[in-house]
Amino acid sequence: MASVLTFFTEFPFELFVIQTLNGIVTGMILALIASGLTLIFGIMDVVNFAHGELFMLGAYMGVIVLSTTGSFWLALILATLIVALFGAAMQIVTLRPLVGRDPLTTILATFGVSLILQNYALWQFGPVARKINEPYTGHFNLFYLEYPWYRLVIAGLSAALIGGFWLFLKHGKFGIWIRATMQDRVMAQAMGIPVPLVHTAAFAIGAGMAAASGVLFGPLVGVNHTMGLDWVLKAFIVVVVGGMGNLGGSIAAAIFISLLESYAAIWVSPAQAVIVSFIVLIFTLLFRPTGLFVPTPK
Amino acid sequence: MSAQGTLQEKSEGPLIAVEDLHTYYGKSHILHGVSLTVGRGEVVGLLGRNGVGKSTTLKTIMGLIYPKQGRIMLEGKAVTSTPAHKLAKLGIAYVPEDRRIFRLLTVMENLRTGLDRPGVTDERKKELLDKVFSYFPVLGERRDQAGGTLSGGEQQMLAIARAMMLEPKIILLDEPTEGLMPRMVSQIRQIIDVLHSEGVAILLVEQNVPLTLEASQRVYIMEKGAIRHHAVSSELKIDDPVIKQYLGV
Ligand SMILES: Nc1ncnc2c1ncn2[C@@H]1O[C@H](COP(=O)(O)OP(=O)(O)OP(=O)(O)O)[C@@H](O)[C@H]1O
Ligand SMILES: [Mg+2]
Repeated sequence: MASVLTFFTEFPFELFVIQTLNGIVTGMILALIASGLTLIFGIMDVVNFAHGELFMLGAYMGVIVLSTTGSFWLALILATLIVALFGAAMQIVTLRPLVGRDPLTTILATFGVSLILQNYALWQFGPVARKINEPYTGHFNLFYLEYPWYRLVIAGLSAALIGGFWLFLKHGKFGIWIRATMQDRVMAQAMGIPVPLVHTAAFAIGAGMAAASGVLFGPLVGVNHTMGLDWVLKAFIVVVVGGMGNLGGSIAAAIFISLLESYAAIWVSPAQAVIVSFIVLIFTLLFRPTGLFVPTPK
Repeated sequence: MSAQGTLQEKSEGPLIAVEDLHTYYGKSHILHGVSLTVGRGEVVGLLGRNGVGKSTTLKTIMGLIYPKQGRIMLEGKAVTSTPAHKLAKLGIAYVPEDRRIFRLLTVMENLRTGLDRPGVTDERKKELLDKVFSYFPVLGERRDQAGGTLSGGEQQMLAIARAMMLEPKIILLDEPTEGLMPRMVSQIRQIIDVLHSEGVAILLVEQNVPLTLEASQRVYIMEKGAIRHHAVSSELKIDDPVIKQYLGV
């Protein structure tokens, strides 16, 4: 009883607020990465093991454009477009020929691409992390902290990108094509929807979203060839917890897991806090394998 | 082949001519040389017991499975092994036996999958929608409802309406009356007549033999993956020995 009381009296309220903010910021970035991963899985049953490397490639493209033009925003836009184009090419070359084959073949193919991209980045840019300077360096006072505005910009921009993607899916012809193809590829094709093109475009969009997250998140972590690994692992967890291929579920799961990790980091070290995601993953797989944030299937 | 010669297509040749199709699922050989034709604007029935390969024939024509052997001609041009989305553009529409509505898309969005084609003006889109909503008022009432929440009969109507959005030359219609109550069946029967009067050809797979004989001009009867009999519908009586033999009615 006494210990419960101390828990509440000593509850680190300020830290809690700060960690809520941090959790939302990483949650939004994670949601942006996971949206692309979910889209790709949902539409062509491909588990894209190269997704983290598309994130990394986006960050490096950001570094390059930023150093030549000096504009962060141009870097964000160009990196997104370049990696989206790269994603389209990658889908056409490595995945299109595997349509209808054993899913294992696409896992091997994307895993192969991820190794190639990682080692290419190491060879091209070297092992030393590059820096992307944040476009805003301002801070505001949050209790005892100077909290960087840029973190809130990340959260806002990620939310805007996800929102834009959502609108794109909900309205307009191409969004309907994507959703129809997700639900029934064969019938979509019989309705005249160019399914191979939709697959390529969806992959490009997913790649572009990963790249945008890479540029946005670059200033917080530094850019190196292995930066995709941690993120893609978390994004996979999020995709499973959110219900494979379920977009809304992935977004909710991304924020949920990031918040939990942030709160856990109040009491344990951030490295240990990662365990929380795995616990959520295990419990989801045990008790609700269709996903935490999807309606119970009938 | 009693109908040979009595009902040959007009001068241009058939809309669809299928010659000697052999289709496999993996190693199992399902179609053993199916040949049939459908003329422009003609309603043709395809009858046969369960599992003889009627649906497989339609899927093969639609390009959803490619045949190992044989040809499919559309308006005199070979379209064998053409992907389904290209055949849809060339004028073939497909209404599968399990309807395959996009369950999470609304009724309107289901229709738009066939409507959002290049070259369809907004006025034309509106005309097409108005037309199906007048034939199937219930679809108009439920246009913003998810396809998966419709009843079986409503889903069947949506599947047909969705195919009509393509303004096809031919509709491959697989057991449209299966599991429907009599009132719905007669509605399907009417829409077949309407499509026929508009010059849309139909290849109609059915278990309902009387309906097929009434709605179609010619019928083919299949057995074990091949066409065994071909007749003019008006000349075939429901108690014909042929029907007893192949359909066991
Ligand atoms: N995807 C598939 N894989 C393997 N075999 C299949 C597949 N689809 C159908 N078959 C087999 O092919 C044969 C023909 O099937 P099809 O669906 O064409 O028959 P049908 O004439 O339409 O029958 P029904 O009247 O029951 O609809 C059946 O023996 C069926 O078991
Ligand atoms: Mg069938």
